[in-house]
Amino acid sequence: MVADLLRMDDYLAQSLTRPARVNHAAVITRAIDPDVIASLDEAWEEGEADLVVELIDLYLGDAPQWVEAMRAAAAGDDATALKRAAHTLKGSSGSLGIRHVAETCRMLELSCSESAAVDELLQQLNRDFAAARAALAAERMRRVT
Amino acid sequence: MSMTIKHTSNRILIADDDPVIRHLVTSIVTKLRYAPVTVNDGRAAFSLLKADADFKAAILDMSMPFLEGLDLIRYMRSEKRLIRIPIVLVTAEQSIKLMSDSFVAGATAFLPKPFTPDQLQNLLRMLLAAKLPSTRAA
Repeated sequence: MVADLLRMDDYLAQSLTRPARVNHAAVITRAIDPDVIASLDEAWEEGEADLVVELIDLYLGDAPQWVEAMRAAAAGDDATALKRAAHTLKGSSGSLGIRHVAETCRMLELSCSESAAVDELLQQLNRDFAAARAALAAERMRRVT
Repeated sequence: MSMTIKHTSNRILIADDDPVIRHLVTSIVTKLRYAPVTVNDGRAAFSLLKADADFKAAILDMSMPFLEGLDLIRYMRSEKRLIRIPIVLVTAEQSIKLMSDSFVAGATAFLPKPFTPDQLQNLLRMLLAAKLPSTRAA
Protein backbone atom coordinates (compact mmCIF):
# COMPACT_ATOMS: atom_id res chain seq x y z
CA MET A 1 0.00 0.00 0.00
CA VAL A 2 2.82 2.46 0.83
CA ALA A 3 4.44 1.63 -2.49
CA ASP A 4 1.14 2.28 -4.26
CA LEU A 5 0.73 5.63 -2.56
CA LEU A 6 4.30 6.58 -3.44
CA ARG A 7 3.54 5.74 -7.06
CA MET A 8 0.44 7.90 -6.80
CA ASP A 9 2.55 10.80 -5.57
CA ASP A 10 4.97 10.28 -8.47
CA TYR A 11 2.03 10.46 -10.81
CA LEU A 12 0.77 13.62 -9.19
CA ALA A 13 4.18 15.23 -9.42
CA GLN A 14 4.02 14.77 -13.17
CA SER A 15 0.48 15.94 -13.61
CA LEU A 16 -0.38 18.60 -11.04
CA THR A 17 1.10 22.02 -10.55
CA ARG A 18 1.05 21.68 -6.76
CA PRO A 19 2.00 18.05 -6.10
CA ALA A 20 2.41 18.61 -2.38
CA ARG A 21 -1.36 19.06 -1.99
CA VAL A 22 -2.63 15.60 -2.73
CA ASN A 23 -6.33 15.36 -3.47
CA HIS A 24 -7.05 11.62 -3.36
CA ALA A 25 -10.58 11.97 -4.70
CA ALA A 26 -9.25 13.80 -7.73
CA VAL A 27 -6.60 11.14 -8.28
CA ILE A 28 -9.20 8.38 -8.17
CA THR A 29 -11.53 10.25 -10.51
CA ARG A 30 -8.70 10.96 -12.92
CA ALA A 31 -7.70 7.30 -13.22
CA ILE A 32 -11.09 5.60 -12.78
CA ASP A 33 -14.33 6.64 -14.44
CA PRO A 34 -16.74 7.36 -11.56
CA ASP A 35 -19.75 6.57 -13.75
CA VAL A 36 -18.48 3.02 -14.30
CA ILE A 37 -17.91 2.53 -10.57
CA ALA A 38 -21.42 3.89 -9.92
CA SER A 39 -22.90 1.44 -12.42
CA LEU A 40 -21.12 -1.43 -10.67
CA ASP A 41 -22.40 -0.19 -7.33
CA GLU A 42 -25.94 -0.28 -8.68
CA ALA A 43 -25.54 -4.02 -9.17
CA TRP A 44 -24.70 -4.39 -5.50
CA GLU A 45 -27.36 -5.56 -3.07
CA GLU A 46 -27.33 -5.18 0.69
CA GLY A 47 -25.73 -8.12 2.40
CA GLU A 48 -23.54 -9.00 -0.57
CA ALA A 49 -19.79 -8.57 -0.72
CA ASP A 50 -18.74 -5.30 -2.34
CA LEU A 51 -18.51 -6.14 -6.05
CA VAL A 52 -16.15 -3.23 -6.75
CA VAL A 53 -13.69 -4.41 -4.09
CA GLU A 54 -13.82 -7.94 -5.49
CA LEU A 55 -13.20 -6.68 -9.03
CA ILE A 56 -10.36 -4.42 -7.86
CA ASP A 57 -8.69 -7.38 -6.13
CA LEU A 58 -9.04 -9.55 -9.23
CA TYR A 59 -7.76 -6.77 -11.47
CA LEU A 60 -4.74 -5.99 -9.31
CA GLY A 61 -3.93 -9.69 -9.15
CA ASP A 62 -4.29 -10.29 -12.88
CA ALA A 63 -3.35 -7.09 -14.72
CA PRO A 64 0.40 -7.00 -13.87
CA GLN A 65 0.93 -10.28 -15.75
CA TRP A 66 -0.57 -8.72 -18.90
CA VAL A 67 1.62 -5.62 -18.58
CA GLU A 68 4.63 -7.91 -18.19
CA ALA A 69 3.44 -10.05 -21.12
CA MET A 70 3.34 -6.92 -23.29
CA ARG A 71 6.87 -5.96 -22.29
CA ALA A 72 8.13 -9.48 -23.01
CA ALA A 73 6.27 -9.62 -26.33
CA ALA A 74 7.71 -6.26 -27.39
CA ALA A 75 11.22 -7.39 -26.41
CA GLY A 76 10.74 -10.54 -28.46
CA ASP A 77 9.14 -8.74 -31.43
CA ASP A 78 6.05 -10.88 -31.02
CA ALA A 79 3.28 -8.65 -32.35
CA THR A 80 0.63 -11.36 -31.99
CA ALA A 81 1.33 -11.90 -28.30
CA LEU A 82 1.50 -8.16 -27.74
CA LYS A 83 -1.85 -7.65 -29.42
CA ARG A 84 -3.48 -10.40 -27.42
CA ALA A 85 -2.17 -9.11 -24.08
CA ALA A 86 -3.21 -5.55 -24.95
CA HIS A 87 -6.65 -6.75 -25.99
CA THR A 88 -7.19 -8.64 -22.74
CA LEU A 89 -6.03 -5.80 -20.50
CA LYS A 90 -8.13 -3.35 -22.52
CA GLY A 91 -11.22 -5.42 -21.77
CA SER A 92 -10.77 -5.76 -18.03
CA SER A 93 -9.58 -2.15 -17.65
CA GLY A 94 -12.57 -0.83 -19.54
CA SER A 95 -14.96 -2.86 -17.41
CA LEU A 96 -13.62 -1.21 -14.26
CA GLY A 97 -13.54 2.25 -15.85
CA ILE A 98 -9.75 2.43 -15.86
CA ARG A 99 -9.90 4.59 -18.91
CA HIS A 100 -6.28 5.62 -19.55
CA VAL A 101 -4.97 2.06 -19.30
CA ALA A 102 -7.79 0.88 -21.57
CA GLU A 103 -7.04 3.60 -24.12
CA THR A 104 -3.28 2.97 -24.12
CA CYS A 105 -3.96 -0.75 -24.55
CA ARG A 106 -6.27 0.06 -27.46
CA MET A 107 -3.47 2.04 -29.10
CA LEU A 108 -0.97 -0.77 -28.43
CA GLU A 109 -3.36 -3.22 -30.04
CA LEU A 110 -3.53 -1.03 -33.14
CA SER A 111 0.22 -0.28 -33.25
CA CYS A 112 1.57 -3.68 -32.21
CA SER A 113 3.76 -4.00 -35.33
CA GLU A 114 5.39 -0.56 -35.10
CA SER A 115 8.30 -0.90 -32.69
CA ALA A 116 8.93 2.83 -32.15
CA ALA A 117 5.29 3.45 -31.30
CA VAL A 118 5.20 0.35 -29.10
CA ASP A 119 8.17 1.54 -27.03
CA GLU A 120 6.54 4.90 -26.44
CA LEU A 121 3.16 3.37 -25.66
CA LEU A 122 4.67 0.90 -23.20
CA GLN A 123 6.22 3.81 -21.31
CA GLN A 124 2.83 5.48 -21.32
CA LEU A 125 1.26 2.24 -20.09
CA ASN A 126 3.72 2.12 -17.19
CA ARG A 127 2.61 5.59 -16.12
CA ASP A 128 -1.08 4.88 -16.63
CA PHE A 129 -0.91 1.57 -14.83
CA ALA A 130 0.98 3.05 -11.86
CA ALA A 131 -1.67 5.75 -11.57
CA ALA A 132 -4.48 3.22 -11.89
CA ARG A 133 -2.97 0.90 -9.33
CA ALA A 134 -2.62 3.73 -6.84
CA ALA A 135 -6.16 4.95 -7.48
CA LEU A 136 -7.60 1.44 -7.16
CA ALA A 137 -5.72 0.88 -3.92
CA ALA A 138 -7.08 4.16 -2.58
CA GLU A 139 -10.63 3.33 -3.70
CA ARG A 140 -10.35 -0.10 -2.12
CA MET A 141 -9.13 1.35 1.14
CA ARG A 142 -11.97 3.89 1.15
CA ARG A 143 -14.50 1.07 0.80
CA VAL A 144 -13.11 -1.37 3.35
CA THR A 145 -12.41 1.11 6.15
CA MET B 1 -44.64 -39.22 -33.26
CA SER B 2 -43.57 -36.04 -31.56
CA MET B 3 -41.09 -35.78 -28.69
CA THR B 4 -41.23 -33.19 -25.91
CA ILE B 5 -37.93 -32.18 -24.39
CA LYS B 6 -38.26 -30.67 -20.92
CA HIS B 7 -35.59 -28.20 -19.87
CA THR B 8 -35.66 -27.47 -16.16
CA SER B 9 -32.17 -26.15 -15.60
CA ASN B 10 -31.49 -22.53 -14.75
CA ARG B 11 -27.78 -22.83 -15.44
CA ILE B 12 -25.94 -20.29 -17.59
CA LEU B 13 -22.57 -21.10 -19.12
CA ILE B 14 -19.97 -18.33 -18.80
CA ALA B 15 -16.74 -18.75 -20.76
CA ASP B 16 -14.13 -16.02 -20.36
CA ASP B 17 -10.40 -16.13 -19.70
CA ASP B 18 -10.44 -12.74 -17.95
CA PRO B 19 -11.12 -13.20 -14.21
CA VAL B 20 -12.47 -9.65 -13.86
CA ILE B 21 -15.08 -10.05 -16.61
CA ARG B 22 -15.85 -13.61 -15.49
CA HIS B 23 -16.55 -12.46 -11.95
CA LEU B 24 -18.61 -9.49 -13.13
CA VAL B 25 -20.77 -11.69 -15.38
CA THR B 26 -21.06 -14.35 -12.68
CA SER B 27 -22.29 -11.75 -10.17
CA ILE B 28 -24.95 -10.49 -12.56
CA VAL B 29 -26.11 -13.97 -13.49
CA THR B 30 -26.35 -14.89 -9.81
CA LYS B 31 -28.26 -11.70 -9.06
CA LEU B 32 -30.82 -12.73 -11.67
CA ARG B 33 -31.26 -16.04 -9.81
CA TYR B 34 -29.57 -18.16 -12.44
CA ALA B 35 -26.81 -20.62 -11.65
CA PRO B 36 -23.50 -19.68 -13.29
CA VAL B 37 -21.25 -22.41 -14.66
CA THR B 38 -17.85 -20.88 -15.43
CA VAL B 39 -14.93 -22.00 -17.55
CA ASN B 40 -11.66 -20.18 -18.22
CA ASP B 41 -11.08 -20.87 -21.90
CA GLY B 42 -12.64 -22.05 -25.13
CA ARG B 43 -11.35 -25.60 -24.89
CA ALA B 44 -12.90 -26.09 -21.44
CA ALA B 45 -16.19 -24.71 -22.77
CA PHE B 46 -16.06 -27.11 -25.71
CA SER B 47 -15.33 -30.10 -23.44
CA LEU B 48 -18.22 -29.17 -21.18
CA LEU B 49 -20.65 -28.67 -24.05
CA LYS B 50 -19.76 -32.05 -25.55
CA ALA B 51 -21.12 -33.71 -22.40
CA ASP B 52 -23.66 -31.22 -21.10
CA ALA B 53 -26.41 -29.36 -22.95
CA ASP B 54 -28.42 -28.33 -19.91
CA PHE B 55 -28.00 -24.55 -20.11
CA LYS B 56 -30.53 -21.75 -20.31
CA ALA B 57 -27.99 -19.55 -22.09
CA ALA B 58 -24.30 -19.22 -22.88
CA ILE B 59 -22.22 -16.06 -22.47
CA LEU B 60 -19.02 -16.49 -24.45
CA ASP B 61 -16.00 -14.26 -24.75
CA MET B 62 -14.83 -13.85 -28.32
CA SER B 63 -11.11 -13.95 -27.65
CA MET B 64 -10.12 -16.94 -25.52
CA PRO B 65 -7.13 -19.31 -25.48
CA PHE B 66 -7.37 -22.54 -27.51
CA LEU B 67 -10.80 -21.91 -29.03
CA GLU B 68 -12.50 -18.61 -29.79
CA GLY B 69 -16.07 -17.71 -29.01
CA LEU B 70 -17.01 -17.67 -32.69
CA ASP B 71 -15.80 -21.26 -33.12
CA LEU B 72 -17.82 -22.32 -30.09
CA ILE B 73 -20.92 -20.71 -31.57
CA ARG B 74 -20.41 -22.62 -34.83
CA TYR B 75 -20.05 -25.86 -32.87
CA MET B 76 -23.16 -25.18 -30.80
CA ARG B 77 -25.21 -24.40 -33.88
CA SER B 78 -24.08 -27.62 -35.53
CA GLU B 79 -25.29 -29.77 -32.62
CA LYS B 80 -29.00 -30.48 -32.36
CA ARG B 81 -28.92 -30.77 -28.55
CA LEU B 82 -27.26 -27.31 -28.21
CA ILE B 83 -29.05 -25.42 -30.95
CA ARG B 84 -31.83 -24.06 -28.72
CA ILE B 85 -29.41 -22.34 -26.29
CA PRO B 86 -29.32 -18.54 -26.70
CA ILE B 87 -25.74 -17.30 -27.04
CA VAL B 88 -24.36 -13.89 -26.07
CA LEU B 89 -20.97 -13.13 -27.62
CA VAL B 90 -18.94 -10.67 -25.55
CA THR B 91 -16.00 -8.86 -27.07
CA ALA B 92 -13.75 -5.83 -26.64
CA GLU B 93 -13.33 -5.68 -30.41
CA GLN B 94 -15.35 -2.87 -31.95
CA SER B 95 -15.87 -4.39 -35.35
CA ILE B 96 -18.98 -4.38 -37.49
CA LYS B 97 -17.58 -7.35 -39.40
CA LEU B 98 -17.16 -9.39 -36.22
CA MET B 99 -20.67 -8.49 -35.16
CA SER B 100 -21.96 -9.58 -38.55
CA ASP B 101 -19.89 -12.78 -38.49
CA SER B 102 -21.17 -13.66 -35.04
CA PHE B 103 -24.80 -13.35 -36.12
CA VAL B 104 -24.11 -15.36 -39.27
CA ALA B 105 -22.51 -18.06 -37.09
CA GLY B 106 -25.60 -18.13 -34.89
CA ALA B 107 -25.07 -15.75 -31.98
CA THR B 108 -28.30 -14.52 -30.45
CA ALA B 109 -26.84 -11.27 -29.12
CA PHE B 110 -23.61 -9.33 -29.30
CA LEU B 111 -22.36 -7.41 -26.24
CA PRO B 112 -19.40 -5.06 -26.68
CA LYS B 113 -17.00 -4.49 -23.76
CA PRO B 114 -17.00 -2.47 -21.68
CA PHE B 115 -20.58 -3.07 -20.65
CA THR B 116 -22.45 -2.04 -17.53
CA PRO B 117 -24.19 -4.53 -15.25
CA ASP B 118 -27.49 -2.98 -16.34
CA GLN B 119 -26.78 -3.68 -20.00
CA LEU B 120 -26.06 -7.35 -19.36
CA GLN B 121 -29.01 -7.70 -16.99
CA ASN B 122 -31.40 -6.20 -19.50
CA LEU B 123 -30.02 -8.34 -22.30
CA LEU B 124 -30.40 -11.53 -20.26
CA ARG B 125 -33.89 -10.57 -19.13
CA MET B 126 -34.86 -10.01 -22.74
CA LEU B 127 -33.30 -13.26 -23.97
CA LEU B 128 -34.72 -15.34 -21.15
CA ALA B 129 -38.02 -13.56 -20.63
CA ALA B 130 -40.01 -16.65 -21.48
CA LYS B 131 -37.68 -18.94 -19.60
CA LEU B 132 -37.46 -17.53 -16.10
CA PRO B 133 -36.22 -20.04 -13.54
CA SER B 134 -38.85 -21.56 -11.30
CA THR B 135 -37.16 -20.16 -8.15
CA ARG B 136 -37.89 -16.63 -9.29
CA ALA B 137 -40.92 -14.86 -7.88
CA ALA B 138 -43.73 -14.38 -10.37
